[in-house]
Amino acid sequence: MASNELEKNDQSDEELSPELTRKQLIHLGFRSLMLQASFNYERMQGGGWLYSILPGLQHAHRNKKDLSNSMQDNMAFFNTHPFLVTFIMGIVLAMEQNKEDRAAIRGIRVAMMGPLGGVGDALFYLTLLPLTGGIAASMAIEGNIFGPIMFIIVFNVIHFGTRFSLMFYGYRAGVNAIAKIKEGTQRISRGATIVGITVVGGLIATFVTIDVDYFLDFGETEMDIQEDVLDSIMPGLLPLVYTLAMYFLLKKKQSPLILIGITVLFGLLGAYLGILEGGIDDDA
Amino acid sequence: MIQMLLEATLIALWAGLMGIDNYNGLTHAHRPIFSGLVIGLILGDVTTGLIIGGTLELIWMGMVPLAGAQPPNPVIGGVIGTAFGILLGEDPNVAVGIAIPFAVAVQGLITLLFTIYAPVMHRMDRHAEAANPWGIEKFNYLGLVILFVMNFVIAFLPINFGVQTAADIVETVPEWITDGLGIAGGIMPAIGFAMLLTIMLRAEYVMFFIVGFLLAAYLELDILAIALIGLSIALYDYYQNKRHDSQPKQAAGEEDFSDGI
Repeated sequence: MASNELEKNDQSDEELSPELTRKQLIHLGFRSLMLQASFNYERMQGGGWLYSILPGLQHAHRNKKDLSNSMQDNMAFFNTHPFLVTFIMGIVLAMEQNKEDRAAIRGIRVAMMGPLGGVGDALFYLTLLPLTGGIAASMAIEGNIFGPIMFIIVFNVIHFGTRFSLMFYGYRAGVNAIAKIKEGTQRISRGATIVGITVVGGLIATFVTIDVDYFLDFGETEMDIQEDVLDSIMPGLLPLVYTLAMYFLLKKKQSPLILIGITVLFGLLGAYLGILEGGIDDDA
Repeated sequence: MIQMLLEATLIALWAGLMGIDNYNGLTHAHRPIFSGLVIGLILGDVTTGLIIGGTLELIWMGMVPLAGAQPPNPVIGGVIGTAFGILLGEDPNVAVGIAIPFAVAVQGLITLLFTIYAPVMHRMDRHAEAANPWGIEKFNYLGLVILFVMNFVIAFLPINFGVQTAADIVETVPEWITDGLGIAGGIMPAIGFAMLLTIMLRAEYVMFFIVGFLLAAYLELDILAIALIGLSIALYDYYQNKRHDSQPKQAAGEEDFSDGI
């Protein structure tokens, strides 16, 4: 699938599609509830993202080749906060329908997911949930049935209010922004790609976890391979090296399926020999 | 006996649905605070359900899914914890102890699901290439079905067959396997990022990639800060190029970056 990347940038059908109706946007908002239905470690929400915006893409692209290119792009890695995803969906759909350059759409999608993910965690998981859950729990412990009932109502009024208003707001903002930008799409694509690539660089250091749990024993002192050796060369060294290794293997037309297999074996071997530490299930 | 089976089935149905809600829908009815009420209703002891649900909510409060990290499963923890608190008349803190092996077991199964679904993405890539929407949709629906079944079974076993028998079953998987899948899961986003890079990265963009990585690895900046720095660079770059363009006939080589994009 990396073979036809060059000709994938332009839309063959340049004609703009009509704007999405309010009803369509509400439908898309409901679809976004499935964002994590095909969650996995490689693409995270990528498959669920495509599911969520799919009717919008079909609306935007009557030409099958364009739809195919768009669907392939939208299968790529994606991860953001599930309540805020509709904002990115709105912007991306406005761009898709306006037949913007594929590179620009790719860049925007990647550039927005990381920041919104962080904002959403802070707003909803670190503030709203403990607040409503904590008040409800203190009521429930005293046997008050309104605790859980109030929790489910307040939480979801805010949750669904955010989800749907951002669907409309994102789409409007996208349509208006595109109308204002009369510049060549090449410049916009370049800008979006610069932000996107910068974010991907940051995400690799944040998201990819490889921790060595191995100590060299020198009688008197111990040497912690992760802290004393690897981190002193460069923090995030192994995640960077591993990602670049995957990148070059993909460039050499190695199948991603084989890379997944290698990674699973690597993890199992690391755990069996006890030289790697659990990245994601640490606290379970 | 019949009543026990009915209650176990109802509880398992709730667990299955909430297993879905934990990742999709996200009404957060799966939180112990609400599950406690529902399990209390099923077992006919609302007050105890409320008290245990509230206590378990406080225990699970700090454990939230941040940046893809998976806490012990709140769905099974809440459901089994409340059910055994009511059925055995246990203190909530003891009930949570009973629930933990099952919460860990279901989290192990979810780790397995998230691993198995990585190769599925490449099946979906082919459907995307063929512009086949149903191909994309069916694998998303399948994910929901698997989540439902996993949570249903894990909740049904202990409530219908008793804690000890069920615990023996869920503890048969060696720890290094679930640990290993967890480690592999922590590494696997590398493949997703590598695939993005094969599409987006060109020699002229490598410097921005390096900047983004360094800001996160050395300065440990938030992704929002990194995105804004990226945006500043992009704006600078944009106005520089604009100025260049408005002065006609610059050196021809300067325009090269526009090829293909």
